[in-house]
Amino acid sequence: MVSKLSQLQTELLAALLESGLSKEALIQALDEQGPYLLAGDGPLDKGEACGGGGPGELAELPNGLGEARGSEDETDDDGEDFTPPILKELENLSPEEAAHQKAVVETLLQEDPWRVAKMVKSYLQQHNIPQREVVDTTGLNQSHLSQHLNKGTPMKTQKRAALYTWYVRKQREVAQQFTHAGQGGLIEEPTGDELPTKKGRRNRFKWGPASQQILFQAYERQKNPSKEERETLVEECNRAECIQRGVSPSQAQGLGSNLVTEVRVYNWFANRRKEEAFRHKLAMDTYSGPPPGPGPGPVLPAHSSPGLPPPALSPSKVHGVRYGQPAASEAAEVPSSSGGPLVTVSAALHQVSPTGLEPSHSLLSTEAKLVSATGGPLPPVSTLTALHSLEQTSPGLNQQPQNLIMASLPGVMTIGPGEPASLGPTFTNTGASTLVIGLASTQAQSVPVINSMGSSLTTLQPVQFSQPLHPSYQQPLMPPVQSHVAQSPFMATMAQLQSPHGERPAPHAGEGGDGTWLSMGLSVSRTSVSA
Amino acid sequence: MAGKAHRLSAEERDQLLPNLRAVGWNEVEGRDAVFKQFHFKDFNRAFGFMTRVALQAEKLDHHPEWFNVYNKVHITLSTHECAGLSERDINLAHFIEQVAASMT
Repeated sequence: MVSKLSQLQTELLAALLESGLSKEALIQALDEQGPYLLAGDGPLDKGEACGGGGPGELAELPNGLGEARGSEDETDDDGEDFTPPILKELENLSPEEAAHQKAVVETLLQEDPWRVAKMVKSYLQQHNIPQREVVDTTGLNQSHLSQHLNKGTPMKTQKRAALYTWYVRKQREVAQQFTHAGQGGLIEEPTGDELPTKKGRRNRFKWGPASQQILFQAYERQKNPSKEERETLVEECNRAECIQRGVSPSQAQGLGSNLVTEVRVYNWFANRRKEEAFRHKLAMDTYSGPPPGPGPGPVLPAHSSPGLPPPALSPSKVHGVRYGQPAASEAAEVPSSSGGPLVTVSAALHQVSPTGLEPSHSLLSTEAKLVSATGGPLPPVSTLTALHSLEQTSPGLNQQPQNLIMASLPGVMTIGPGEPASLGPTFTNTGASTLVIGLASTQAQSVPVINSMGSSLTTLQPVQFSQPLHPSYQQPLMPPVQSHVAQSPFMATMAQLQSPHGERPAPHAGEGGDGTWLSMGLSVSRTSVSA
Repeated sequence: MAGKAHRLSAEERDQLLPNLRAVGWNEVEGRDAVFKQFHFKDFNRAFGFMTRVALQAEKLDHHPEWFNVYNKVHITLSTHECAGLSERDINLAHFIEQVAASMT
């Protein structure tokens, strides 16, 4: 065994080993030099000796380099991935890089996992990296990863090692941002594409908060920027994104899949304009509908966020309240003619929601797409997001029964996401049930209850709908609505509106039903519905 | 021999230097070179850093001008053959950045 090395010796040794000197070569050289130097028994000995003093990383280096396992990558990959190696040897800058990475990973593993998790999470946020990318390359479970990073759920050491290894490797992205700039590919692996061999796909573009701020400010100045202005915005956004990542703005190419381009800016503005039109439409409908009362007032303003009012969208949006639901299927059914009424209803619905939510994406987008097919005013994708957030933020808004639209919106919102499951089954064939719930509460009318609904209706009063509502309309309002009965009129309207679109066969004539609805007590003179 | 020894054109400078400037390399007055000061925890780390840079410099056959006092290292990069900045300086600067980052 060798005695402890001094720090400097350790440092120098580390430097030597990092420079590409293999253990065997070093040992050989030492043997040639003289026997009084460190004993050259074997890698392990060296590792132990080196590990005795100096930084932890040194201990790692010999192990990393000495392990005659073939390529460095193999070692790395085993640590990072439970599946076949992701990276090829080519990906590492050099053996010293691999060794260095292992060392850093070891250091991270010694630290408090929560602190490191925070570091990794903030890095992901700073660079707008989707969790999916991490999951794909590390083989970790996404839910587990998310919980570990956000809530500190414990993660086993081996898995944390995989995560940290990914983190260290991803930080090469920063280095690449530098090298790519002028040197044109000093490093082989582009940043946005972590594994070209594994999947020839770049991550989905995502707007960063800095860029969005810039865009919103520009939007307030002018809603329809010219190509030159858009290009200016592109530069500005990329500069801001680079600064957020602590990188020189001239290396914007390092942003990879999150690089802002003129097309993206164009789309962003188009979506915001649509949102605003939708919101406008909602507002129009609200005011033209049943006496708005104080409801819509406070509701609308409360929810209008700077620049994110979702334009009214076809009924499919109503479905949108339920997130994560088979929105696509619903939307698919809806696309038929949504007419004015639906739009208005949904507009109202949406209006409340978009409070400043970001353009969402996910399920709503499918609906959005479908909606567009109908040709009516389409709520922008962001509407969906708004809806979602809205519902969470405005549970108590719907206080005015009369304000069907506005009031119900909040109600709707709240209801929505809560009960996707219940909506499905309950719908069986009585979309009306949803409405029932809503209506019953406010209207105490002579509406016969649709018993087919089931438990969810138990507390509701009879509501009569001439046309069975289509089950596909998952009215999020359903069960959870109890407390938001006030919304029922709205919901009823919504449901009603929905039905015409769906696959509902005959009942679609629903105009009659609509009339019923309306007369029911919604006190909404929605003539448009019957149209 | 890694990199070319031709002096960087104005275009190339505009492209490459901002990156370096962003991390602290500054142009030297009076000569065409870049300079940066590094600061480490102690002499061991500083010299370890220098060793790594030295080994790489040998590999690249491009050496820095540097000064060291205890835990500080001042590095000036320039290419003698072209009497100014060249790609080699940029490469070495980036490598130095990587090493410095790993040392801290």
